[in-house]
Amino acid sequence: MLKGKLKFVIAIAVIALTVSYLVYGGVKDTMVYYLTVEELMAQVPTVYDTKVRVSGTVVPGTIIKDTDGALEFKITDGVQTVDVAYEGIVPDIFADDVEAVVEGVYAKNDVFEADTLLAKCPTKYESTDSLYDEKESSY
Amino acid sequence: MVETGNISIFLALIISIYVLVASIYGVRTRKWDFVRSAENGAIAVCFLLIIATIALVHSLINLDFSLKYVALNTSTDLATIYRFTSLWAGQAGSLLLWCLVLSVYTAIVVLQSRNKDRQLMPYVLATLTTVSIFFIFVITFIESPFEKLSFIPKEGRGLNPILQNAYMAIHPLTLYVGYVGVTVPFAFGMGALLSGKLGDEWIRYSRKWALIAWTFLGIGLLLGARWAYLELGWGGYWAWDPVENAAFMPWLAATAFIHSVMIQEKKGMLKKWNMSLIIITFFLAIFGTFITRSGIISSVHSFAQSDIGPLFLGFIAFILLFSFGMFLYRMNDLETENSFDSILSRESAFIFNNLLFLGAAFAVFLGTIFPILSEAVTGSKILVGSPYFNRVNVPIALVLIFLMGVGPLISWRKASFKNLVKNFLYPILLGILTVIVLLAFGMKDVKALIAFALCAFVTGTVFTEFFRGTRVRMKRGENFLMAFMRLVSRNKRRYGGYIVHIGVVLIVIGVTASSVFVTEKQVTLNKGESMELRGYSLRFDGLEQYTTDAKNATVANLTLFEDGREIDTIKPEKNIYKYEGNREINQETEVALRSTFKDDLYIILSSFNPDGSATIRAMINPMVNWIWAGGLVLLLGAIITVWPSGRKSRQEAFVRYTVSEEDTTVKAS
Repeated sequence: MLKGKLKFVIAIAVIALTVSYLVYGGVKDTMVYYLTVEELMAQVPTVYDTKVRVSGTVVPGTIIKDTDGALEFKITDGVQTVDVAYEGIVPDIFADDVEAVVEGVYAKNDVFEADTLLAKCPTKYESTDSLYDEKESSY
Repeated sequence: MVETGNISIFLALIISIYVLVASIYGVRTRKWDFVRSAENGAIAVCFLLIIATIALVHSLINLDFSLKYVALNTSTDLATIYRFTSLWAGQAGSLLLWCLVLSVYTAIVVLQSRNKDRQLMPYVLATLTTVSIFFIFVITFIESPFEKLSFIPKEGRGLNPILQNAYMAIHPLTLYVGYVGVTVPFAFGMGALLSGKLGDEWIRYSRKWALIAWTFLGIGLLLGARWAYLELGWGGYWAWDPVENAAFMPWLAATAFIHSVMIQEKKGMLKKWNMSLIIITFFLAIFGTFITRSGIISSVHSFAQSDIGPLFLGFIAFILLFSFGMFLYRMNDLETENSFDSILSRESAFIFNNLLFLGAAFAVFLGTIFPILSEAVTGSKILVGSPYFNRVNVPIALVLIFLMGVGPLISWRKASFKNLVKNFLYPILLGILTVIVLLAFGMKDVKALIAFALCAFVTGTVFTEFFRGTRVRMKRGENFLMAFMRLVSRNKRRYGGYIVHIGVVLIVIGVTASSVFVTEKQVTLNKGESMELRGYSLRFDGLEQYTTDAKNATVANLTLFEDGREIDTIKPEKNIYKYEGNREINQETEVALRSTFKDDLYIILSSFNPDGSATIRAMINPMVNWIWAGGLVLLLGAIITVWPSGRKSRQEAFVRYTVSEEDTTVKAS
């Protein structure tokens, strides 16, 4: 009978180990540091050629769109700026002044080569500021 | 209407507190009048919240901009239907909806079982009401949908155009009904723990309610996926975003629960496990609401951010500590009635199913909170993205599909070799045949081959079951159709469950095909030029512009050829919304989709240029429609499973396979 129980213990341990291994391997191979522009610049020589994710505000007027779909722009934390090059799907809300999140590699020529671009709505979502604009313009 | 709403939610809060006190006091002192009045109170709360919701809907439809919620979520140019759906577009409104849905569930529970299980029900009601009180408190004092502005704006902020979509209108509602629905089976579990009535009653009720919540969660997730696919324009339907994970985690835990309760019903085993599982499921549902509502994990969706986060965290801590405290207190009463005999048995298939579902839920949970965790431990924020989730979940999913085929056919207790051959020979052959055929067609992707083979295997086992059942009835002289219908209607749980499994198989086929075999191409075309894409050819016939009240649209006219024959015209759009209130997204890409069961042609107008050329991104996503079709099959199966049975005598006959004396002696030796 002990043999029967032992089988269960072994099977459960195998499942637990496999799932843990998948989690461990998955985290190890896919983890990406999420940095601000400042943190990125602070790590400059060591950060070259490692995959990171950086967020910052799109500097107004720096978005250049090529006809072939390639995109260049700058993001900033208010102090420092980073040049970003990107090719791929551009989110609808991507525009001047939105918070952009880019994932990719900071290359040695000091251009961030992004392979993912996400844009977040400005955080004024639940604020009533724009309603005051309406009010002022209506008087 | 505003006063009506305010008064209603305030009264609902007061009465809820009364319901909590009266139900506990009544059952403790056996003063059943108090319990009865608590039950009536719960129904009153439901009515009050309906009134409050009507008041808010009335304000939304009539655009009463003196209310902050209305001003923030609607505008004069918004169609009436979307004024109505704005009820769940913002924070305060969706919390009101939470309360409403929970109170409706509570009222149904009270009406269905007020004269049954008098020891158990008052505690169930008390648990449901405790959760209600928390949410009603939040909308009464912290995030009131009836908050007034100090002035009346002339125009509201409007509803984000990407949310103005039929799927977006019903997807959050469906998901909410699912999220909130998890509270009911949890309340039965807590009721059992509090009352000490740890027999079959709570598990019977919980199972049914968990199935309902599970179905709504699943359908809600699929609707959300379909919305993302149609509206977000990146060609996929699932991105492992925290908001998606938030609903996926309780779904995974609930899936484990609805399977393992069967073992408790049939064999009186896994009692502790089931209790823990329903607590975990409820925790994940509340945690999901918390992450979508608090903005603690940055998500692309980030619908609403607010300061109710700490309050939620406190509530979650209370729920977890109290439920597990009660669990420990009653632990000795949750003794198992049977033990596991063999690893080759249906019981053990269920155990492994549960471990894997919970493992998947854990992996998703870890991945979702990883940024917070890593920041707390190492000081730097580390993310894991889609590759992590795919790497962990795909192997787990493949094993689960395998078990989905094994579980229903393998014998209880101990499967003999003969039993295994009899049940699994043909399904296994079908799986092998599938691999051979696909290899012959040149498919090389190993994961896809495994997935399709397993799907064939599961389909084989399910059809074996239907075939055998029908044949037995036909031998009794019923014709095929009648035999089939009776087979299903007399064993709704079993055969409904099989139909759900077929739905899952269809979804797996769709997901596998559309994630492994995508073809994608981006080309800039001048008028008259064509692009080629795997047997298809798209000719660009020029740009066209039109204007409506709400937007300026640019359309790319494309003609689609398949093998040289003209088959369709395709018109992807790029819209610029005029209305300033929607300025967070003033540009919207409208995907042109040509959908068949073979493949989806997914065409996006990436950009257009002054010289009349256009950049077109085209994707072929094979078999995406199978996912949505699978969703419908799953829904059908779920409806059959929970459909009330007319034949009371046959319903819920608990057959316990207890170990006979003889077996025990053999075991002891």
